[in-house]
Amino acid sequence: MSDPGTPLDDGVAGPGESPEYDRSVSAPPAIETVGLSKTYGGKVRALVDLDLRVERGEVFGYLGPNGAGKSTTIRLLLDLIRPTAGRVSVLGLDTRTDGVASRRSVGYLPGDLRLADRLTGHEQLESLARLRGRVDETLRDELCERLGVILDRPIRQLSRGNRQKIGIVQAFMHRPELVVLDEPTAGLDPLLQNEMRALLRETAADGSTVFLSSHSLDEVQHVADRVGIIRSGRLVDVDAVESLRERSLRHVTITFAEPIDPSAFGSLDGVRVVSVDGPVVRLSAPETAMDALVKSASRHAIADLVSQPADLEEIFLELYREDDDGR
Amino acid sequence: MALVAAIFPSIESSPDFNKLVESYPDVLKSLFGIAEGGDITSGAGYLDVELWSFMLPLLVLVLAIGSGARTFAGEEDAGRLELVLSYPLRRRDAVLAKGAAVAGEIVVVCVAAGITILVFDPLVGLDLSFPRLASALMSLAALGLLFGWLALAVGAAVPSRTLAIGIPAGAAAAAYLVSGLHELAGWLDPFRVLSPFWLVGSSPLQKGADGWGVLAVVVAALVVLLAGSRLVERRDLEAP
Repeated sequence: MSDPGTPLDDGVAGPGESPEYDRSVSAPPAIETVGLSKTYGGKVRALVDLDLRVERGEVFGYLGPNGAGKSTTIRLLLDLIRPTAGRVSVLGLDTRTDGVASRRSVGYLPGDLRLADRLTGHEQLESLARLRGRVDETLRDELCERLGVILDRPIRQLSRGNRQKIGIVQAFMHRPELVVLDEPTAGLDPLLQNEMRALLRETAADGSTVFLSSHSLDEVQHVADRVGIIRSGRLVDVDAVESLRERSLRHVTITFAEPIDPSAFGSLDGVRVVSVDGPVVRLSAPETAMDALVKSASRHAIADLVSQPADLEEIFLELYREDDDGR
Repeated sequence: MALVAAIFPSIESSPDFNKLVESYPDVLKSLFGIAEGGDITSGAGYLDVELWSFMLPLLVLVLAIGSGARTFAGEEDAGRLELVLSYPLRRRDAVLAKGAAVAGEIVVVCVAAGITILVFDPLVGLDLSFPRLASALMSLAALGLLFGWLALAVGAAVPSRTLAIGIPAGAAAAAYLVSGLHELAGWLDPFRVLSPFWLVGSSPLQKGADGWGVLAVVVAALVVLLAGSRLVERRDLEAP
């Protein structure tokens, strides 16, 4: 159905050509947004001036607290909503003018997945396959088996996690060049979350691109190559996961055998003493400082040590304290 | 509907019924399509009054508007369009495909109504003319198509199930009243040409439906559907 007059800028092949050609160096990026903005109802600025480039074959984590603009970005990529300003291209195709062609090679798992409740899983996947035109049935059956999808019961009888599995299968079943997943592990048990991560890594190893949104750094950092952080509709940072992890905070609570002088910890790089309550010392520390912290603490007798990842909002507060003007 | 047909023999055998009906106030006669010179004790006249003047159009319109509103506005409201429209298809094609499905439902209902009437025809001696029955069913289908597609188009143009039901239902009620009352209320008379009910003609089983009127209504329905399929491209899809 692609328009014969479709402009293919810089003469490179668009998606739908042979995969070898697509993933060659000259292929356009998987996602490119320029000055992308979305304002709802003339005043709610859901997304402000987003410039983002996601290369082919990478797993890109799109990280931000709830309501930061993650779903807005994703829905713009799929042309479900239209930008107030700026433009988006997916696999080298402008989503406004070549939306159908660009979506042909995209798989999407919505954050709030709604399926046809009366259909069985099998019927739902069949109906979506017809809509898609071409799917890889072997891959689909393989995925269903791997995730343990319940195919023969009406979807309305399935739990959230089991519905999510159907959503995952439909997003991958046509071997898309770009998979867009909005909070994909919501409702999945830890075992399946692992399976999901493995699936994402395999997809990237095959040369496809994964765009993965999440509000949890821990969820993203084990699978993503790069991470973009969005907050209040603005992209605040794009970084390799390792450098983000260096800055990712842990909450450390150490209970010593007896009260100690905590000032030694304060001199460690990035470590902050949050509170001292008798023998209990609470600190915040980046992951990279953990080794030094534990070694320093071990000079005293330790009764207990607990280390927990800080949630994203806290990391933001820590990282962007200077320009923090509220939520 | 079967019940209505089954009662017919008792009406047919009472010639006084015509006198009774003639004594009805003009407003009622006008609304229920009791034609001048019509004969309610004939099979065609009886069904015109009992089914075509109100009950059957109401049934078809409720079904058509419900179907038209459900298929786009209802699906969007339930969040189910999010996934479907992320697939490689144009929104306008989705609207047209849904329009075809709504039309299919209307045809099924009209054919079912026709079959029911044909089954009862010999049983209770309605003595209907088949071409007129066919034209009466077409006029019904045309009305269903117009208001069903209007519901679909409104839902495509704006993300509101309330409007997708309210606008066609309100329009149908207004059009019905204009068509029924324009002869009695002179100021309504110029508006009659806007009423699809007036365009397809009343008492179709006795006089046959107005072919040009039916065509005009179908054309209007197509225009409405096409407008909906264009307007849907201009807006944001509501998030689930």
